[in-house]
Amino acid sequence: MQIEKQTVRIGFNPLTDCASVVMASVLGFDERHGIRIVLSKETSWAGVRDKLVTGELDAAQALYGMVYGTQLGIGSQCHDMAVLMNLNRNGQAITLSKRLMEAGAVDGPSLAALMRDERRQYVFAQTFPTGTHAMWLYYWLAAQGIDPLHGARAITVPPAQMVYNLAEGHMDGFCAGEPWGHRAVMDGIGVTVATSQQIWPDHPEKVLGASAAFVDAHPNTCRALIAAVLEAGRWIDASAENRRAMAEIIAGQAYVNTDKAAILPRILGRYDDGMGRQWQDSHPMCFHQDGAANYPYLSDGTWFMTQFRRWGLLKAHPDYERTARAVTRLQLYREAAEVAGVAVPAQSTRSSTLIDGRVWDGADPEHYATSFPIRLR
Amino acid sequence: MSRNLRIVLVHPHHESDASQRACALHAGLLEAGYELVASLPADIHLPERIAQLQPDMIIVDAESDARDVLEHIVIATRDERRPIVMFTEDDKTSSMEAALEAGVSAYIVAGLKPERIKPVLNVALARFRKEEKLLLELADTKHKLAERKVVDRAKGLLMSRHGMTEEQAYQRLRTMAMNKKLKLADIAQRILDVEDLLG
Repeated sequence: MQIEKQTVRIGFNPLTDCASVVMASVLGFDERHGIRIVLSKETSWAGVRDKLVTGELDAAQALYGMVYGTQLGIGSQCHDMAVLMNLNRNGQAITLSKRLMEAGAVDGPSLAALMRDERRQYVFAQTFPTGTHAMWLYYWLAAQGIDPLHGARAITVPPAQMVYNLAEGHMDGFCAGEPWGHRAVMDGIGVTVATSQQIWPDHPEKVLGASAAFVDAHPNTCRALIAAVLEAGRWIDASAENRRAMAEIIAGQAYVNTDKAAILPRILGRYDDGMGRQWQDSHPMCFHQDGAANYPYLSDGTWFMTQFRRWGLLKAHPDYERTARAVTRLQLYREAAEVAGVAVPAQSTRSSTLIDGRVWDGADPEHYATSFPIRLR
Repeated sequence: MSRNLRIVLVHPHHESDASQRACALHAGLLEAGYELVASLPADIHLPERIAQLQPDMIIVDAESDARDVLEHIVIATRDERRPIVMFTEDDKTSSMEAALEAGVSAYIVAGLKPERIKPVLNVALARFRKEEKLLLELADTKHKLAERKVVDRAKGLLMSRHGMTEEQAYQRLRTMAMNKKLKLADIAQRILDVEDLLG
């Protein structure tokens, strides 16, 4: 089997969930599969998308939704994209400012009550308009009866600027990936009112994304890449010791560039909400789960499209099933999983119950997208 | 013709190479006679300022983290003004691609004709190239200066230790460098290292 391209340039953003891509390179899982990963630290998701499209990057850690946004031409021209695998589940969070907490907003219902009683413009930040954090934030606010687009102002802020802007009072809360939620708690700036796994236990998060053209021209390279990252995810999830070692490495300047202490507790499932509550989380960020976390379920991809429709990012229903099947490279994933000795689920859809009690199983996306009482009409 | 385009430049809110490049770009556009309605820092107030200014074109460093903020503005205002990302334009001239490779990224109102965009990006490109050349030259000069210092210190050492004149010390260094097939500065550094080691 000829590897079409041995050296692959992989983009990542400095967030905890870049771990499996980084460790695939650091631990040499890439060489085991006949490729060499060259990591490229990026500064924005828009930059990642553009570099995937122009070929400057071969593949990248990408926001699940962004891949579909690009496929469907939201904010850019349509470009055929590919999801090679899911990189991780869980581990994002919604943070409110300490000020808001002191005014009584300690969870969803009390935030909704505060926003009803003390009327002003409330500002919440996410990291990218079609990204996962925007979708978790909007879903969570709507589940509390707050219309995220009309009852509040939603803005995009780069993750590294979240804590600063929260401290300065420029915004009331944000949804971002770790380590930023825990950082806000550590610095005494904000409190964690919801984890993303509370919104959707075992939700999909970052994917290994690429342009369809790259995947079509380099199937063997992509298969090797998936296998290498699968092995890295399996290694990370294998023990707390491995997770500690991973935190040590990705905290380094070349990667997340932060204190190890900002990363470590939450990847071990140890949460502190900044309001005196500590707990061992049953769904912390995970990178493998015996392959369940990595399988790119068609229903996961479809969910993001239903939310784009819900919030008016899509003006009409897309062909949900065709789009999900075109983007998700299930066959390639299966072959790579076999190489890496990773189990593949029998079904390409799964059923989940989200925070508002609604069940999403991939069936009838058109109805699901328009069934929410709070949506853009 | 292109002169009355309303252009906003986004610059980083902290000192960096990118902020130097933004300054150079600013100067270049002004020299070429373009009206810059503002040069805005990439901070939390960016969306409001852009909403007030309603520019035809926003130019930003491709490696700026403000890219995602602009992305939000692009999507949020797509019904009224429909700005689009530069490289999604069908017109793919080599100069635009070169500008993009050089790190210029522009968000432009849809319907703005490519022939009006091109000259602006050409100016941007020329500025980036010039700036890049200057930075390279500066680095080169600094490097040469550092090398000269090392050679001078090694010469001084030879002069004081072995009672050589400056010319003799220099010739000795040159001979050693040639014999060992090393650069003058490298052999000088070795002499200084040995001196450090043996005190």
